[in-house]
Amino acid sequence: MKTFNPDAMGEKLLRRLAGGTSRRGILSRLGLALVAAPAFPLLPVSRASAAKPDRSPEAKTNFARNAQSTDDTKCTYWRYCAIDGSLCSCCGGALNRCPPGAEHSPVSWVGTCINPDDGRAYLIAYRDCCGKTYCNKCDCDGTDRETQLYVPQLNNDVIWCFGTTSMEYHCSTAVLVGTA
Amino acid sequence: MMKVQGKSSLSARARYTAAAVCALTLLGGAPAAQAADPLQPDPELEAVTLSAPKPSWVFVERGFVVPGNTIYDTDTGKMLGQVETSHLSDLSLDPAGKVYYVAESIWSKGSRGTRQDMITVYDAATLKLKSEIVMPGRILIGGRKFNFVIGEAGKTAYVYNLDPASSVNVIDLVKGKFVKKIELPGCASLMPVDGVGFSALCSDGSLATVKTAGAKPEIVRSAPFFSATNDPIFDNFGFNGPKQEAVFLTYTGQVYTAKLGATPTISEPFSIQAAAGVTPADTKPLDVYWYPGARQGLALHSASGLAYVLMHTGEYWTHKEPGTEIWVLDVAAKKVTKRIPLEEPAATIAVTQEAAPKLVLGIEDGTLLILDAKTGAEKFKLEKSAGGVLRTLEP
Repeated sequence: MKTFNPDAMGEKLLRRLAGGTSRRGILSRLGLALVAAPAFPLLPVSRASAAKPDRSPEAKTNFARNAQSTDDTKCTYWRYCAIDGSLCSCCGGALNRCPPGAEHSPVSWVGTCINPDDGRAYLIAYRDCCGKTYCNKCDCDGTDRETQLYVPQLNNDVIWCFGTTSMEYHCSTAVLVGTA
Repeated sequence: MMKVQGKSSLSARARYTAAAVCALTLLGGAPAAQAADPLQPDPELEAVTLSAPKPSWVFVERGFVVPGNTIYDTDTGKMLGQVETSHLSDLSLDPAGKVYYVAESIWSKGSRGTRQDMITVYDAATLKLKSEIVMPGRILIGGRKFNFVIGEAGKTAYVYNLDPASSVNVIDLVKGKFVKKIELPGCASLMPVDGVGFSALCSDGSLATVKTAGAKPEIVRSAPFFSATNDPIFDNFGFNGPKQEAVFLTYTGQVYTAKLGATPTISEPFSIQAAAGVTPADTKPLDVYWYPGARQGLALHSASGLAYVLMHTGEYWTHKEPGTEIWVLDVAAKKVTKRIPLEEPAATIAVTQEAAPKLVLGIEDGTLLILDAKTGAEKFKLEKSAGGVLRTLEP
């Protein structure tokens, strides 16, 4: 499966970020974070399997086999394969929008989730909504391809409220970035 | 004169109390002479103080949204006190047992205003604020043991920061001063390395070792030995400070040991499942195996070299699932010597570093369980007492 491609993820996210923020501080620190990226080895698994994406049920995780595309207030909604926290769609916001008064973080961690309707893998940016206290409704913890702190862009425990006026975590959205 | 005046002013309250007692006696109308003397009012008292921390104590983060670290004595099952730790802070224990250190971030107006990052120092006896050491920043994340670590026998602290570039604050705890910030691209989860600085796990599958002494820090990476994205090492690993050793466990159950130092050595891995005589796990969907997991899934008893690991059955990418069994792994012998089934799955595990250790488990519903580590017998079951990370004293 073409599930891991940190380079492509980085590029897509950077393009989105470039159009979405003007905060110098966060950009310089993000720039530093990305400078480190070429030092990361390209994963054999992503390279070897990139040519032939395997979308068969046998290749899908337990989450992907049971995912649905109709109710985005449930943890089983397909885009939530690597989300962690309260769903903004249960907190007055939407799948990809913050609740009133909360602020979208310009950066995020990412997941690669399979849409059950077309069988394609999509890159999802889990952008935290910040500046209000924890919503604590519809708490989900998708762990598909979720890793540990030393790969922060694939770790869903980090409070991703960088570049926002407050780092208080409220809830998480699942923004579709493109095909993975 | 002075003395008389003092006496007279002191007695104002006593006179009032005496009058009240007389009034009550009259109102009662009972044969006062035969009644027992009434209870005396409590004197003004100081708050309870604590002894230096003991190996039987466990420090329990109260949870993601609840501040505070609760101290329990695993000998008695009693709560002893609470270290003030703000939301998403990290507690670290002073090897000398004189103070508690809290790496935390607070804002001048509650959840907004000016951000302030600091190590807050509390007196270990009174749990009262002693001092604050200001520093540039720190990561905000819950449930991690290795974002705030102390090395050099309590003299130096390392605080991990992600903003979202990765760096480490070096703090001189003796002088109570921030020393420097070291950029650490692509690595996190810190282990103090005495005489050197610290080591960290990296996204290229290596172990970085940072020599902090020079004007320019020197970062040396080992050869990559694990896959950070396909079979990551749990960042709540086992660490033996006095022996400067780490026990790393991956999502599939591969176990590595590392001898830390200026040039660390990392062992060949072995499978914890094979060590238990069951089929080793892989990363393929649909395959069901025993996997290690949970939020704090490994506890290392330093003296015996036994690792207590939370295990569950399921498919791959279930690494946060709570454990339904504890596997007791003799790391050196590569043998699982005991499997302890749990009535309720556990999300966190710690072990006291006593000669006869106790296991402390955080159940998802908030129950804290204290077990005899040798037999698995339940000693205490404390409701509404678990939450986040558990910490015990190093030997």
